[in-house]
Amino acid sequence: MIRVDSITIKEFRGIRDLTLDFKEKNFAICGPNGTGKSGVVDALEFALTGNVSRLSGEGRGDISLRRHGPHVDKRDDPDKARVTVKVTILSLGKTVTVERNLKTPAVAHVTPSDAAVLEVLQQVKSHPEIVLSRRELIRYVLATPGKRAEEVQALLHLDQVEQVRVGLQKIANSCENQLVPLGTASTQARDNLLRALEMSELTREKVLSAANAQRTILGLSPLTDLTEATSLKDGMATPEPAKPQRIPKAQALADIRAAREALAEIASVPTRTRVAEVAADLNALASDPAVAASVKRETFYTTGMDLIEAEACPFCDTPWDFGELKKHIQAKIDHLEEISRKRTAAETKIAPLIAALRKVQAAMNTLVGYASLTTPVACEAARDYSANCGTAAQRLTALLPLAETITVLANVPIVPQAVLDDVGRLEKVVAALPEPTKQDAAREWLTVAQERLEVWRDAMRKQKAAKEQAERTRQISDIYATTSDTVLAGIYAAVEKDFASLYGFVNRDDEDKFKAQLIPSRGKLGFDVDFYGRGFFPPGAYHSEGHQDSMGLCLYLALMRHLQGNGFTFAVLDDVLMSVDAGHRREVCTLLKREFPNMQFIMTTHDPIWLRHMRTEALTGTRSAVHFRRWNVDDGPTRWDERDVWTEMDRHLKGNDVRAAAALLRNYLEYTSAELCHRLRAPVEFRGDAQYQLGELLPAAIAHMRKLYARAKAAANSWNQKEAIEQLAASESKFAMLAETSNAEQWQVNAAVHFNSWDNLGKEDFKPVVNAFRELLGGFTCSDCNEYLRVMPDRETLESLRCDCGKTNINLRKKGA
Amino acid sequence: MTTPPTKEGTPDVPAQVFEKFLQALENTSASAELVARLRKALVEDRTFTERALKAAVLGEESLP
Repeated sequence: MIRVDSITIKEFRGIRDLTLDFKEKNFAICGPNGTGKSGVVDALEFALTGNVSRLSGEGRGDISLRRHGPHVDKRDDPDKARVTVKVTILSLGKTVTVERNLKTPAVAHVTPSDAAVLEVLQQVKSHPEIVLSRRELIRYVLATPGKRAEEVQALLHLDQVEQVRVGLQKIANSCENQLVPLGTASTQARDNLLRALEMSELTREKVLSAANAQRTILGLSPLTDLTEATSLKDGMATPEPAKPQRIPKAQALADIRAAREALAEIASVPTRTRVAEVAADLNALASDPAVAASVKRETFYTTGMDLIEAEACPFCDTPWDFGELKKHIQAKIDHLEEISRKRTAAETKIAPLIAALRKVQAAMNTLVGYASLTTPVACEAARDYSANCGTAAQRLTALLPLAETITVLANVPIVPQAVLDDVGRLEKVVAALPEPTKQDAAREWLTVAQERLEVWRDAMRKQKAAKEQAERTRQISDIYATTSDTVLAGIYAAVEKDFASLYGFVNRDDEDKFKAQLIPSRGKLGFDVDFYGRGFFPPGAYHSEGHQDSMGLCLYLALMRHLQGNGFTFAVLDDVLMSVDAGHRREVCTLLKREFPNMQFIMTTHDPIWLRHMRTEALTGTRSAVHFRRWNVDDGPTRWDERDVWTEMDRHLKGNDVRAAAALLRNYLEYTSAELCHRLRAPVEFRGDAQYQLGELLPAAIAHMRKLYARAKAAANSWNQKEAIEQLAASESKFAMLAETSNAEQWQVNAAVHFNSWDNLGKEDFKPVVNAFRELLGGFTCSDCNEYLRVMPDRETLESLRCDCGKTNINLRKKGA
Repeated sequence: MTTPPTKEGTPDVPAQVFEKFLQALENTSASAELVARLRKALVEDRTFTERALKAAVLGEESLP
């Protein structure tokens, strides 16, 4: 996708003004803790994404990018905090400048800013994972399955996939939930229709026969077919509405009978028995204190299980036994699952009671309707009872809180006498109505039957539509779940294989047959690794921290490579291998070079040995690194380079601060001497702790340089290169003079001439010391490019002493050697 | 050493999942309108709220 050419950072985090020239190549940033390495990492992330993950997100408290992103002295002037990166977009072959400031972090000033450029930068922005710190790396490896799934999901942007899965599932569930009440409604509509038709079975022939019998009375032609559009009262003249509207006597009496039956059913022994059974179940459930908050607690415990990572309680710091705690919580979760099963069983038993309540409610509503057509019957009790039945049905459906449900349940079989009285009064009134004529009765029969037929048809249509909708939404949800599972399984399988291969390479000395398992399961992502053929275990179980670090890096690389393919061209590795030993770091260098030849890695480390590994393994070029030496709040990071160091020493001396100048010279000579010994392959007495003193390094470098000149002269002599011999003799003589002037070689033989005594010198006394060492170090450099010379190759027989620009190239091999 | 992943990578896993899902849906009796609505929501508009999904899945229909 991109590579970064350079970055300029102004007043951002701990950096005042810094430009680094990456040249689209791998680049290393080295320096002790607190020298500004991570500031560069933050700046890169900020320029490319508009965010700094270390300053945002979970657990950052009051820290914010806008308030705490600018240098502390510019915190009220975020406009001055700016980062500019020059990036090359490989696919477009374009170099683009992106600048952001902290006043408007979301706004990137892009030049040029055509649509194609902006699209690529948007893609980069959507993948802040280009920056990997050790903290994040460990999250991939040591996280619990749930947390790891979140991390990997975030990396792969699977939150969107999950959001859609949950959304489709909810839609399917809500569609299915509609089926039960719609089924109940159609059954009631059917019962009402059957009652109006005065039959017990709903068949086309019987309906036609009954309707035609009534139509004959009215002189209407018989119906020959019964379709969805057929009206039973087709051709019947619409009479003027009677005033007051007449009650269809026969239907009303039938409905009253049905209402009595519904009331009898709800007050029946079987209903009472069912109520008693359900009440016992609910009481048993209610006696369990875990039930009240079961839903919330199940979620809480499940989340808690995923969060048990530390060795002590994060609230009270009481140490806990990890295994025992997990067992304890799992027992709670199991218990809640048992509660959930019991609750489902109770709901199944309650369903017929809810249906009975709905039936009574509908029957009462019908009677109340008839009552409204008569003056003497109010039916207030029936009206209230109907409402109560509706409320009770809702309560039983909700189930929780159990105490309320149990109270309501107890009243289900109780039919108030006032209701029965209302029904009795209405029945008497209806029975006392004059009998209609045959024609009126037929007209009423056809009118009511048609009304109820339409209600039933409508209920059936709704039920059918709901069924189709539920089937369709479930199918969509299932297809989505299957498809996403298949795609993700494919991704995980590929990542798993790539990861194992990458890690196996780094540890091929003893884990070349390494295997790993990424196991996705219900929103979690298990991660087990092979431990020397003894089985699969979590990475933290038996592998060392160093192995876990390289696992994290390899998993990240495998994920990113799979995610971005050839677009994975840039990544920032922020101190990710601090626990990995030198040998395996070397293998990581080889891995990065071999497996990711087109990548640009920006790597930070506090370890100069690791920096050197990167160079010697040619992961980074000799100039593709910056070594921060110190940081202060006024200046930000300063580097170990000539310009910085000598300028600062001059400044100290101008300020008559010999102590500071001496300390800086001492530190710089220590740093440089190590570098010179490495470059020249100078023999130094080995120290297991790598804590070399200046007195061990600089004299060794000087002595070895002399030997190299002697060797070069001998080689030139063997080739009979007189001019070269003369030039080498001159250089050797000049170098000897520089060494003598600096007096550096005396340190090893005469400890009294120690650099600490510099502190006692005055400003004018110390200036010549500084100049002498400056000149001496110049003797190790190429006169053209000013880079330190190095012996080539860096192992085995010496061949040449040369610089990076090629101007200095001194042969060290004799003729015939 | 390793089997490199697809050359182009999987720059957008959700998009890949959505595309496969829509292809699978097309191979069922699902209507072209339904697939088109879902494609618009998931691929073009990238709106994943329950409301947007409901509108895409149910179209003009509402829950009965």
